[in-house]
Amino acid sequence: MLRLRDVDRMLILTTTALVATGLIMVYSTSYIMAMKKYGSEYFFVKKQFIFILIGFLFFIIASKIDYHFYQRWVYPLLLASFALLLVLAFIPGVGNEVGGARRWLKLGPLTFQPSEPAKLAVIMYLAYYLSTKKEKIKTFSRGFLPPIIMSGLFIALILKQPDFGTALSLGAIAIILMFIAGVRLRHIFSLVVFAMPFLYLMVSRVDYRMKRMLTFLDPWKDSDGAGFQLVQSLIGFGAGGIWGVGLGSGKQKLFYLPEAHTDFILSVIGEELGLIGISSLVVLYLIVLFCGVRIALKAEDLFGQYLAIGITLLILLQAVVNMAVVMALLPTKGLTLPFISYGGTSLVVNMIGMGILLNIYKTENRR
Amino acid sequence: MKKMKENTSWLRFRIFIVLVSFIFVFIAIFIRAFQLQVLERDKLKALADRAHLKAVSIIPKRGTIYDRGMRELAVSTEVESVYAQPAKIENIKKTSGLLASALSIDRKELESKFTSKKSFVWVKRQLDFAEGEQIQRLNIQGIGFVKEGRRFYPNPQIAGHIIGFVGVDSKGLEGVELEYEEYMAGASARLIGERDAHGNEILFDSTDKDASKGMNLILTIDKTIQYIAEKELFKAVSNNKAKGGMVVVMDPSTGEILAMANAPHFKPNNFYEYSNPSIWRNKVVTDAFEPGSTFKTFLVAAAFEEGVAKPNDLFFCEEGSYGVADRVFHDVKKFGWLSLAQIIKHSSNIGAAKIGNRLGKDRFYRYINDFGFGAKTGIDLPGESSGSIPHLRGWSNVALGNISFGQGISVTGIQLISAFSAIANHGYLMRPYIVKEIVDGNGNIVKEFRPEVIRKVVSEETARKVTAILKEVTKTDGTGIKASIDGFDVAGKTGTAQKPDLFQGGYVSGKYISSFVGFVPADNPELVILVIIDEPSVGEFYGGVVAAPVFKEIATHGLAYRGVFPRGTHDTIKPLQVNLSSIDFREDEHEDFYRMPDLKGKTVRSVLRLAREIPLEVKVFGSGRAAYQRPLPGERITQDTLAEVWFK
Repeated sequence: MLRLRDVDRMLILTTTALVATGLIMVYSTSYIMAMKKYGSEYFFVKKQFIFILIGFLFFIIASKIDYHFYQRWVYPLLLASFALLLVLAFIPGVGNEVGGARRWLKLGPLTFQPSEPAKLAVIMYLAYYLSTKKEKIKTFSRGFLPPIIMSGLFIALILKQPDFGTALSLGAIAIILMFIAGVRLRHIFSLVVFAMPFLYLMVSRVDYRMKRMLTFLDPWKDSDGAGFQLVQSLIGFGAGGIWGVGLGSGKQKLFYLPEAHTDFILSVIGEELGLIGISSLVVLYLIVLFCGVRIALKAEDLFGQYLAIGITLLILLQAVVNMAVVMALLPTKGLTLPFISYGGTSLVVNMIGMGILLNIYKTENRR
Repeated sequence: MKKMKENTSWLRFRIFIVLVSFIFVFIAIFIRAFQLQVLERDKLKALADRAHLKAVSIIPKRGTIYDRGMRELAVSTEVESVYAQPAKIENIKKTSGLLASALSIDRKELESKFTSKKSFVWVKRQLDFAEGEQIQRLNIQGIGFVKEGRRFYPNPQIAGHIIGFVGVDSKGLEGVELEYEEYMAGASARLIGERDAHGNEILFDSTDKDASKGMNLILTIDKTIQYIAEKELFKAVSNNKAKGGMVVVMDPSTGEILAMANAPHFKPNNFYEYSNPSIWRNKVVTDAFEPGSTFKTFLVAAAFEEGVAKPNDLFFCEEGSYGVADRVFHDVKKFGWLSLAQIIKHSSNIGAAKIGNRLGKDRFYRYINDFGFGAKTGIDLPGESSGSIPHLRGWSNVALGNISFGQGISVTGIQLISAFSAIANHGYLMRPYIVKEIVDGNGNIVKEFRPEVIRKVVSEETARKVTAILKEVTKTDGTGIKASIDGFDVAGKTGTAQKPDLFQGGYVSGKYISSFVGFVPADNPELVILVIIDEPSVGEFYGGVVAAPVFKEIATHGLAYRGVFPRGTHDTIKPLQVNLSSIDFREDEHEDFYRMPDLKGKTVRSVLRLAREIPLEVKVFGSGRAAYQRPLPGERITQDTLAEVWFK
């Protein structure tokens, strides 16, 4: 029997359930499109399956490496991921441009999204930095400024791609981690007040971001144009009802819903598996949340605590933002649903994160 | 140390705040999902339907209908339908001209279709093979093809009223095609329009063809017996210059309908050519009529069961005229004292009225209902009528007399044969049915229909006594002598009913319904056959003269076909092999072979039975259920084929 105290087994089971759901839904959402564009209905699902295998490999490796290893290697890791972002940002030709954004590095036949490991590296850095400062954390120059500058550098590079969603979520992770570590609230508030005009400028300057902002408030106003995606997403939820129309029978993915297998996969889950499916998914994420928090509370040192919280935030923040976006509770961002959406880099990075969580748990239990 | 502890609890508190915030966010997400999926569901669903209806529905491949020996009665073939995307047509005039002449449709009509603002229009659906080839060769821009199912009945003469037909949209309109529409139709496939970057619509067939195929039906009907029944019925109707007629053949022990024929008949391939739609009705189940003397059978059964009369009880038949209240009953011949058995044998109405009197209305009424009259039998065919039995309160003494010989009530053909089968089946009333199995495209059984006992109406003892009396009917000087068959005991009853005058009351003179219903061999019944001839207009009109010979012909051929031998001829005569190719089918020129049925999962017994029906020689290996067979299902077989079946 699975007991509530068996956090490790719960974590493994939940992760497996999430990626399995993801695999099935990637197939359901992509097979028709894949058939048409690539001549094989298994085009995406095959790749996703390989990503999952790689992900589990990394999951196992990460769970075996004592997490204090990252404490020692935090700066090299940070530097490496920063370098990757730099290469992507400034060296032309190495990036894979999709829809005007350069988010992928080409590595032979593979593509790779440097912002994903960068998020993990920044979390490790923050956990390390914040855990070593103890009392000085309350000061402005030693406790507040350095982590802000470091995260800001990464955020700036990610914004340059541009990837507004990832940049914002990294900013949010940094702020929440700093709050937990005890950085003075007044510093954090002043930072938010300070950032507001910049945020506004960034949104209003770029035409499509402004549009996204506005359509989310009333997607029906322009349901054929800017609100199209969102309206189609909402229709998908509505069509599903409580029980859903059945796996594979959804209609919205048939070209009504662009990017059904990535950003809007939740809408297809809503259509095919209904409120029951959505609720089950919410429960799975809640289990991840509880496991993460539990591991953090019991971790043997501050570094472990912050790292566990950071990783939990990495997954949960992205999950709730994606869910909120496809249900038109938040303006559209290019964020995927962790473990569920199609995509290799984020899956592997999230699996590494889960592996690290597991290791923190095991270390604490060895005592 | 104290400070440290304080720090830790603050840390815990802050983590707790984050945790609680996340829980609130998840609750908000759940509420939003609930709002979208439950509260606003109808609004959103309506929008979804509207968007999807823009997609074009195409007709899926309908399931096949087989007879009990897996011989095809209705098939669907995939044919091309041609559509146009007007925006892509370069030269509307030229394109319409080409298509109009190739498909013999009006050019003006096409032109106006092509100039419309629609993104998709059908040019012509379900083309002939030649038309399809021709248009495809033309290869015109903006013209596309999609495969649709089209119904075809390979034996257009046979079983039209059972099978029914489908309309232009391939929806079942009559018969089992209508009754089993939901199983046979298949999922409606769709063409979806996709907008590419330039705003053009691209059509894309989104459906899985195999998944959308309809399921197949296997009927209880035996094509050969059906053929025999139809042939004999049509012959009798034409010889007697009758208005119409019907024949039903049933397996009394199961309630399976082996044949069901209506005259006049129609050809389902050309159903629309018949100006009077009432011809499509399967009158065996939809129309009720006064049964006449055949009904005396149930009176006698009730009297025996209640113990109010014995076969040798004598009744005075009043020398042919008997006054009850203000009415006078007549017999065709004048009779004095007759035993109950003789009353049935000679079909005396006065005798029947006296038996009815002895039984009493309450009991008679109860048995009428128990035999299934006045209620639908539940047969799986559309439009069944329940006939009408006057309510007990309305039964005067005259009515009791009338009903005793089958007047003043109305019954359907299917009720009559089902009730009669109960006598043949040791008193058990079975539910009649026409579909044995529903099978999906891969041969898996989706639904299986089994014999179903409705109730036990009379005891075995009573059934045996009634059978003994019915056997007398077909012997020397019985009314049904013309139904007798050499080497068999036939149990049956004749009927000759005047047709009621619906406008003036009373009966129309000179218009009769002549009937015979019986089973054979009487002591181990294989077949129950009902023959009704409506308004014979030349020569005699008595059931014993008009209908009984039809029974005899069908029974003789039917028994031989089923391999039931006459007395004393065991092993000396081979069963008559009714080879369909030797019969003149006219429109049926391809019927010189059979296809091997799928035997998988069947028992040894049912395989042997099936083999006897085809007929086919079978070698059996092992026991249990059929696992492997040679030839494979669907392969051509002849009567010389030796099939091998392995059981596990």
